[in-house]
Amino acid sequence: MGRVEFKVPGGKLIAAEAEAEGGRIVRVKITGDFFMHPEEAIEDLEGSLTGVPVDEGSLEEAVNGFFGGRSIELIGVASGDFVHVIRMSLGLP
Amino acid sequence: MSDTWRLIDMRVEDAYTQMGIDEAIAYARRRGETPNTVRLYRWNPSAVSVGYFQSIENEVDLDACRRLGVDVIRRITGGGAVFHDYNGEITYSLVAPDDDPKIPRDIISSYRLICGCVIKGLEKLGLDSEFKPINDIVAGGRKISGNAQTRRYGSVLQHGTVLVDCDAKKIFTVLKVSGTKISDKMIKAAEERVTNVRRELERDVSFEEARDALVSGFEETLDVHLEPGGLTDYEADLMEKFREKYRSQEWVFRR
Repeated sequence: MGRVEFKVPGGKLIAAEAEAEGGRIVRVKITGDFFMHPEEAIEDLEGSLTGVPVDEGSLEEAVNGFFGGRSIELIGVASGDFVHVIRMSLGLP
Repeated sequence: MSDTWRLIDMRVEDAYTQMGIDEAIAYARRRGETPNTVRLYRWNPSAVSVGYFQSIENEVDLDACRRLGVDVIRRITGGGAVFHDYNGEITYSLVAPDDDPKIPRDIISSYRLICGCVIKGLEKLGLDSEFKPINDIVAGGRKISGNAQTRRYGSVLQHGTVLVDCDAKKIFTVLKVSGTKISDKMIKAAEERVTNVRRELERDVSFEEARDALVSGFEETLDVHLEPGGLTDYEADLMEKFREKYRSQEWVFRR
């Protein structure tokens, strides 16, 4: 799948490159000029999405579950924006 | 009486050393004898820094950097790509404990405060500018300073660039912009969005004059006295370790 960029209104730029095989996510890379403390959480987020089914609800649940269980501060981007760009990159409506 | 913070004043170093120093101070602040610190510095050779989350291949023309002798480095802070032109830019950094009474816990409020130091400094030069959330300072609607903050090791580290002069053509040569060829039109469009101290004041402001104004801006805004000093031995040792990380291909091409 291609790299998809999304400029968060009033926020920063976020981009995703995601690939799926057999209905599950096999790879996600998220880039951009946003802020996240601690920064290394992005690699944990990407890793946690591997194996998530590509269907309505599963991705959102996985992303929200990731941020819900950790003390991560997002600046210029919100968890829903991650869901949005990853969905676009996977070609989901 | 106001507090005394340390000033590490206008060190000129390469990119890896500069980022190593910033991280070493942030790390050391909670341990040992490290005081709250403001640094002003310049990058030699000139360098491109990208934010922690940026894709280096998408942001930087690596061949052009190699050709021009421009270093490429990834920061530990998020935010965007910056061209640190030795002849056109001063970088500042600030380190304090993340629960320091002077530093708001709220991230945007702390950007506003620390950017306020730069705004006050620019005002000393006769230049009106304002904070534009999340992390920019603009003059006449054009960006004159970009800033990036992290909180780690129990410290807040914010660093940012103050544009003193600007070679738009060179910026476009080293930073990638949508893969199109550099045109006069593009350079003109960039000049509409980005400005610098010399252009705004229409005079040849020296680095010394800009430095003096920024030092006053930090002192007045934070109500501190900045006392010139150097790195502690502990920080210098740490810096060398961090510098190796910043130099490694693994780190630079991490994302």
